Amino acid sequence: MRSSALRELAVADDGSESTGPVAVDQAAAGRDAAPARLPFGPRDIALCLTAVALLLRPMGPWFVRPALLALPVLMILSPALLRSALAWGAIAVLIAVRIADDWPLADNHIYLLGYWTLAIALSLRAPDGEAALASSSRWLIGLAFVFAVLWKAVLSPDFLDGRFFRVTLLTDPRFGDAAQLIGGLSSQQLADNRKALEVLPSGAELLEPPTVDEPTRLRWLAMAATWGVLALESAVALTMLLPTTALRSAVRHITLLVFCGTTYLFAPVAGFGWLLLAMGAGQLDGKQVGLKRAYVAAFLVVIFYGEIPWADLALKAGRG
Amino acid sequence: MRMVAPAMLVVVASTQIALSRTVELTAWKGGGFGMFATLDHAAYRGIDIVVDGPDRSEALEVPASIEVAVARAAACPTDGALRTVAESVLARERRYHRPVSRVTLTFWKADFDRATLRPSERPVRTFVYDAP
Repeated sequence: MRSSALRELAVADDGSESTGPVAVDQAAAGRDAAPARLPFGPRDIALCLTAVALLLRPMGPWFVRPALLALPVLMILSPALLRSALAWGAIAVLIAVRIADDWPLADNHIYLLGYWTLAIALSLRAPDGEAALASSSRWLIGLAFVFAVLWKAVLSPDFLDGRFFRVTLLTDPRFGDAAQLIGGLSSQQLADNRKALEVLPSGAELLEPPTVDEPTRLRWLAMAATWGVLALESAVALTMLLPTTALRSAVRHITLLVFCGTTYLFAPVAGFGWLLLAMGAGQLDGKQVGLKRAYVAAFLVVIFYGEIPWADLALKAGRG
Repeated sequence: MRMVAPAMLVVVASTQIALSRTVELTAWKGGGFGMFATLDHAAYRGIDIVVDGPDRSEALEVPASIEVAVARAAACPTDGALRTVAESVLARERRYHRPVSRVTLTFWKADFDRATLRPSERPVRTFVYDAP
C-alpha cells in the first residue's frame, strides 16, 4: 500500500500538483529532510474530505454501516482506492439503500451525499475527470440551494413572516443558548415561553392561556435569521448556477465559505456543512492554493462549531 | 455523464414537492431541501391512537416499540404507513391479551398564530382500521 492520502495532503500544498508521477530529488530531500512530494490535487482533497465526512457521522442500518465506515478508512489509507470509481459507486449504492430503508426519515444532506458520491464515481471514469467533478459540484450545490430557497420563499406559509425562526429560537433546545445570548432572553423567560408554546390537544383550551414574551432583540434576531438565511442561500444558488468567469468563480467560493462559516455556527447539522465544503473543494483547480487551505480550515472550523458549546460558555462567562 | 447526479436531484426534489402537496409529506424530509423552512416538522405533527374493543375505548401513548413506524407515518401519512401503525398497535395489544376491534389513528399538525404565536392542534386526516 502506498503512503497514506493524509500524508500526501500534508506535503503537497504549493499548487504545483500534476497528475503524473513526480520525480523526487532524493539528494535534496535528504539535505532538507522534507518529505517526498506526491501528486495530490484539489479533487483528491475533495474526495478525502468526503471520506472524512462519512466517518464523522456514521449512518444507516447494520447492513450498510460497516461498509460505509470501512470504505472511507481504506480510501484515506490508499490513494488508489480514493480514486476508485468502483469504490465511490459502491458508497453511492449503500447510501441509496440507507435512504430507501429509512424512507422518508433520512435528512436531506444524505440525499445530497448520495448524489455527490455518484458524481465522484462518474467523474473518475470521465476523460476530463476534474472538470466533470467541478461541474457536477456546481450544479448539485446550486440546485440544492434553489430548492431550499423555493421552499422558504414560495412553498412554506410560515417562513417569510418570521414565524419559523420566532418559534424555533424559543422551542428548539439546540437554539436555546443563542436565543439567550443574542436574543436577550433570560433562562426563566425561555422556560415560560416554551410552556406557552406547548401544543394542546385538538379542541382543548386553557382558561387563561399564557402569552409568549418576545423581547425586541429576539424579534430582531428572528427577522435577521429569516432574511439572512434567505439572502445567503439565494446568493449561493445564483453564483453556483451562473456561467463561470474568473470573478464569479472567486465570488462563488467566498459565498459558499461565508454561508458555511455563519450558518453552521448556529445550525446543528455539521454533516451538511462538511459535505458542502468537500463539494466546494471539488471545484478548485491546482492554482487556487489559498482557497484549498480555506476549505480545509472551514471544514475544521465546522467540527469545532459542533463540538464546542460556544454559546453556553459565553452565557456562563457573561453571568460571571 | 456530469449531469446524471444533478438530474436525479431535480427528479427527487420535484417528486418531494408533489408528495408534500398530495400526501402531506413533511417539507423537511424526502430530499426536497425544505429543512429549516417551515414549522411543519416532526415536533409539530403527530399521530393520536385510539383503540376500541368490547368494554373499552382508550387513547394510547405511542409505545416505544412502534415509535419508528409512527415517525414514518407522521412524516408521510399515507394509507400504507398508517395501516402499518394500526397493525403494529393491534399486534401489541393482542400480545398483552387486550381485546381490540378497531384502531383509529388521527394525523394532526400544529399551527402557530401569526401574531401571538399561540399554537393549536389541527386534525388533518383520520384512518380507521377494523381488526380482522
